[in-house]
Amino acid sequence: MDEPGYTDAHPQAPPLARMAIAVLAVIGLLVSGYLSLYKLGVIGGLTCQVGSCEQVQASPWAVMLGVPVSLWGAGAYLTLLVVALLGLKRRYVDERWVALVLFGVSAAGVAFSGYLTYIEAFVIEMWCQWCVTSAVIITLIFLLSIPGLNRAR
Amino acid sequence: MPRPAPERPRRSSLTPFYVILGLVLLAGIGVFLANRRGPGGGGGGNLVNKPATLAPLTNEQLQRVQGISRGRADAPITIYEFADFQCPHCAEFATLLEPVIMERLVDTGKARYVFYDFPLGFKWSWLSARAGRCANAQGKFWEFHSLIFARQQEWAFAKDPVDIWGPLAQQVGLDQGKFEACVRSDQFQKDVTESSMLGSSLGVGGTPTLFVNGRRIETPPTYAALETELRKIAPGAFEGTPAAAPAGVPAGPVAPAAPAATAPQ
Repeated sequence: MDEPGYTDAHPQAPPLARMAIAVLAVIGLLVSGYLSLYKLGVIGGLTCQVGSCEQVQASPWAVMLGVPVSLWGAGAYLTLLVVALLGLKRRYVDERWVALVLFGVSAAGVAFSGYLTYIEAFVIEMWCQWCVTSAVIITLIFLLSIPGLNRAR
Repeated sequence: MPRPAPERPRRSSLTPFYVILGLVLLAGIGVFLANRRGPGGGGGGNLVNKPATLAPLTNEQLQRVQGISRGRADAPITIYEFADFQCPHCAEFATLLEPVIMERLVDTGKARYVFYDFPLGFKWSWLSARAGRCANAQGKFWEFHSLIFARQQEWAFAKDPVDIWGPLAQQVGLDQGKFEACVRSDQFQKDVTESSMLGSSLGVGGTPTLFVNGRRIETPPTYAALETELRKIAPGAFEGTPAAAPAGVPAGPVAPAAPAATAPQ
């Protein structure tokens, strides 16, 4: 790899929090991708051991600005994954924008997931296990993005 | 003495991390493929063909359980039917007697007809009940109900009956895509379960079971037998109308409670 790595000469280790963010973003991408494939009609049904996933997905809150909410989520997780991976490179590790994008995107994700969870709990009174999983993942990513803010120049 | 070559700085490589990331991705895709349910139906294995897990309903809740209604809300006679789309006797009743009941009683304003799901233990009992509700959601319950009963033998043992119901749905003017998506979801599972609970609370054991103005009656073998029964229960509804034909069917036992009032949907 041409990219300079972390060496004894540059002993600062790759931030573990960013690694964790990348792993969580992959899981989030899988979850939101699965819901998107259902919503777009590529797959015929959702595996749902807990709750009423398909009814939740059929509700008006599953679409925002004409695009399935799950697809917005997939876009957010993809952004987080790419930025977290870039943020592991020596060249970008201390870049302020990397920390800000991870923090900002995940903060927006937490706010939106919170709203959707409220809708599930109090408006449609049905749960979708995948939506809850995604809400947990984005919350963890948000928490993990906070230390990066101090690290950034 | 030659100087030792400077040691190459050791890299704290990210390779193990990338391997872990790749494994997570592959595991996720593997889980997805293992649980995939194709749009054409994967043999019906994941179709929701069972009751919802619900706590027993209170009397008030039972009174609110909705059937699917046809005819004038203020008709002097209300006929409630508890039926299962896969029950052969129901199919016989629906194809032979119901059209006459609709024509002579419901369409003339003498009676209101209310259909309640009472899925028995046939292969697709619960799924077909949900399919009926999905048709009702698009306002074509009665059309679909007649067709699904008439074609019962074609789908009763199908691996994936939704593939057969889809074209039937389209035939009666339903949006086939919406209908199939509904049947392949878990929509109306709760409604069908509540309907079944209502039937059980009224002592329904088999299908079709009929109630007329709250009285349970034996399933009549002919329209004439039914009309004879109805004339006993609600004579006012037939004032000035000659009897259909002589028949001597005895009155059925009185139902333990009248089914809930239903609103047309």
